[in-house]
Amino acid sequence: MIEIIRRIESEAQEALARAETGEALQSLRVAFLGKKGKFQDLFKDFGAVPADQRKAIGAELNRVKDWLEQAIATAQARLENKGTDAQFDGTLPGVVPQTGSIHVLQQTIDEITSIYGRMGFEVVEGPEIETEFHNFTALNIPLNHPSRDAFDTFYTTQGHLLRSQTSTVQVRVMQSRKPPLRVVAPGRVYRPDTVDASHSFMFHQIEGLMVDDKVTFSDLKGVLHLFLRELFGSAIKLRFRPHFFPFTEPSVEVDIQWGKGWLEVLGAGSVDPNVFEAVGYDKSRVRGFAFGLGVERIAMLRHGITDIRHFYENDIRFLRQFA
Amino acid sequence: MKVSTNWLRDFVTLAPPITRIADRLTLAGLEVKKVDQIDDLQDTVFEIEITSNRPDWLSHVGVAREISAVEALSLKMPLLDIEAGRTPPAGWKIHIKDAEACPYYTGVLIEGITETRTPEFMVQRLLACGVRSVNLIVDITNYVLLEYGQPLHAFDADLIQGREIQVRKAKPGERLLAINDATIELNPNDLVIADSDYAIALAGVMGGKKTEISDRTRNVFLESAFFDPGRVRRASRNHQLSTDSSYRFERRVDPETVDHGRQRALSLIKQYAKPGRISSPVKAGEKPILRVKQVHIREEEIRDVLGCDIKPNQVASILTKLGCEVKQHAPGSWKVGVPSFRADLERPVDLVEEIARIYGYDAIPETLPARAPVSLTENPRLKLERRLRNLLSGVGLHEAVTFSLISDRGLDEKVDLASAVRIVNPLHHGLHWMRPTLVTGLLDAVQKNVNAGADSVPLFEIANVYSAGEAQKHPREERMLGIMLYGKRAAPNWIDHSREASLFDVKGIVETILGGASEGGWKLQKIHKSYLTPSTAREFVVGAERLAFLGAVSPEVCARWDLKGSAYYAEISLDKVAGKAGNVVKKFREWPRYPAVARDLSLTVKDEVPCEALIKEICELGGGLIRSVSLFDLFRGKRIPAGYKNLAFRMVYQSLERTLVSEEVQKLHDRIADTLVRKYQAAFQQ
Repeated sequence: MIEIIRRIESEAQEALARAETGEALQSLRVAFLGKKGKFQDLFKDFGAVPADQRKAIGAELNRVKDWLEQAIATAQARLENKGTDAQFDGTLPGVVPQTGSIHVLQQTIDEITSIYGRMGFEVVEGPEIETEFHNFTALNIPLNHPSRDAFDTFYTTQGHLLRSQTSTVQVRVMQSRKPPLRVVAPGRVYRPDTVDASHSFMFHQIEGLMVDDKVTFSDLKGVLHLFLRELFGSAIKLRFRPHFFPFTEPSVEVDIQWGKGWLEVLGAGSVDPNVFEAVGYDKSRVRGFAFGLGVERIAMLRHGITDIRHFYENDIRFLRQFA
Repeated sequence: MKVSTNWLRDFVTLAPPITRIADRLTLAGLEVKKVDQIDDLQDTVFEIEITSNRPDWLSHVGVAREISAVEALSLKMPLLDIEAGRTPPAGWKIHIKDAEACPYYTGVLIEGITETRTPEFMVQRLLACGVRSVNLIVDITNYVLLEYGQPLHAFDADLIQGREIQVRKAKPGERLLAINDATIELNPNDLVIADSDYAIALAGVMGGKKTEISDRTRNVFLESAFFDPGRVRRASRNHQLSTDSSYRFERRVDPETVDHGRQRALSLIKQYAKPGRISSPVKAGEKPILRVKQVHIREEEIRDVLGCDIKPNQVASILTKLGCEVKQHAPGSWKVGVPSFRADLERPVDLVEEIARIYGYDAIPETLPARAPVSLTENPRLKLERRLRNLLSGVGLHEAVTFSLISDRGLDEKVDLASAVRIVNPLHHGLHWMRPTLVTGLLDAVQKNVNAGADSVPLFEIANVYSAGEAQKHPREERMLGIMLYGKRAAPNWIDHSREASLFDVKGIVETILGGASEGGWKLQKIHKSYLTPSTAREFVVGAERLAFLGAVSPEVCARWDLKGSAYYAEISLDKVAGKAGNVVKKFREWPRYPAVARDLSLTVKDEVPCEALIKEICELGGGLIRSVSLFDLFRGKRIPAGYKNLAFRMVYQSLERTLVSEEVQKLHDRIADTLVRKYQAAFQQ
């Protein structure tokens, strides 16, 4: 009986190879698997098989029948697909998932804080509504300094002010923690500047602070160089230019080479001993450095944005570009 | 300030190329913004920008001194005429009535001027510095101001009443017609120079028209004084008058140049104006002296601050070139006398900066801090913010950044702004308030986008809101997430049709975010917000805390932003959510291994029956065999009577212990349906 099964199998193989239309497949199915088909006959004969052979022959019979059913289905599918080839247009646009975007200022903050994060700086925050002490006095800004005027700082009816720099966070962190410290503090700052292409009355800064028993100006240079190379690429050229800030001494502005000229990207310096004194540190035992940078400025440089107002208008055509 | 290099050559040698010197000055902190070659004058002009601590750079002598330090050259100072006259001016008196505002005032009387022509070199140098020639006497005062940094003022002596100079506060209602023809309404905080009758100058800022020098002037009273920086600055700001004179006084002039500047002017006047007589100077008050005249500095301090060694002889030579008197105290230790023009040098660290500046910041090596990182903690709220930014941008929302300062537009002053923080000196447009909600900023952004033609505006913002809090307490700031959906939910594509965004899109986002923070679920409560449609406004309460609220922005508020469609808004306190979620590490939970059976149930109930009650009821009736209930359709209209709604639920039955048989599920399902119909007068179709 095994031989008969095998013969029918090879007959079916030949018939399958010849069947090139749906009708041919259909008659093939009837001829082999139909009610009066060849397998039906085989099953009838199966009744006469001696008991000791039933298992082997039964298995073989089922195997060939299953194979044929599968083979017919596959052939059927292949024939059907032939018909749809012409209809399928692979150039139809993909359905793009509807995604939004993270604001480019936030991406800039994330990128900068993550670089400092890799150098062991923790991200901290402080209030935006501040006291004169935190915004000026503790930062060694004299009482009669112009920046304290209402022309340069927003004041509230309760006698507080809107911080004009994130350096306030330095003061808060030092007041609440002991050295060693390594922190970066991103956030909003406010100055009563008339809004134009390069000014806004609200913008973002990132302040950095490191305090330890031995921290030098050389360390400051090393850290800033590493940071700027990571942010602008290792080919970036920079220069350290002496400057003045009340809360650092020595103070420095860092310029990067941009086109043919130099562009200032951040201000920094060794923490002024008066600042340590104001927060209650022993100024003879600690040293530190601080730096501050404008997030908008960095983002404008990196992305070639020429008008600061784009950041706050939130036009989706703008936002989407940085998705 | 513009600096003529021809002029600088009077004091110091400038080795070409001139741009190299400009670069060296910049790298020493005296920033040369521009180098201009002026062919007509055969001069090269530096446009310099000074830092506020270095008013001594506001003169050619000051800049030349800096060049002598960075180039290690000697400085030649101009010749001074040590007080030409011997006799004091007959009958002239100076009274200082406000010694705080003017500690030192000097004047000299020059009589019988015969020449009025300004020499050509002076005209050209002034022009190179952007100063137009007026007449000889005025030109000389300007020349000395630019050369020495000492502002002088020349009065026509014949027009001063009573041969008297009073340095006093302005009287109430007093006015001054200034030389720029503007009338200054003086206030009692202004310091004025007055004769016996009236104010003749706003001290340190601008002179008066009445006593102005003219071509007919023959007798001159020349003023050289020290005015308090703060007072001059306030006067200049109050009257919005900034002059070369006020610019220098408000940054502090060198008290010594009060005399030197006057002497320099007199020698020029003698030479070019050929006067008949020059009096001896009249002086009142005393020259202010430095708070710190000597600073002690040690080698170790330099090394500890900078992180590198600088040779002792270099230390001494740098400080000497900068005008300090350096005495070696012990090896590696110096006593440094501070010159009168350097009020900024008070401590050793100030000297370290000077040394580093001239040594060159670029020459200081770069190192990295020795100690390993000190903290690995991440603020849980910042971590949450990062996760939410990824989530929200991933589901199609754009992050916005809007201003924290707002006007009262769209808000109720008595309700929303009742405890808001108010700004005393807003910039414009009534931006008086530190915002108590992010809603108006996001409405601004929606309006901008709608005006630009957008039909789908899904936005979020993460920022603080502010409230004044209790009296005497620091104002409160809370980090919020604002979510605003307007218009289409998504742009249509060729497979999916688009639909309008709905409040339930916002609610779904809020539920997703709160899901991680409130294991036991939340309570929804009605809430009143002036800018939300009352029937839609709800808050999410967990325990005693209000974590979030949402609602449809009211049509009135939408109209104020010219929005024709509906805007949906939610605000979530990230401080509170982070407080709840904390840094919990999620634990794995096994899911049931037995097969689940899904059955649908469609119910028609009265409109006022809340969906949440039905779901809760279904779960309770399920006796632990219902794994989930979800609403998949809500229908009103046609076949449903008015006042009713049809809800379709899909219930998934599943046991933790065994395989449920079909009949058992059907029985339970029928029982639940029966109970609901009875209890809620619900009709049901299956």
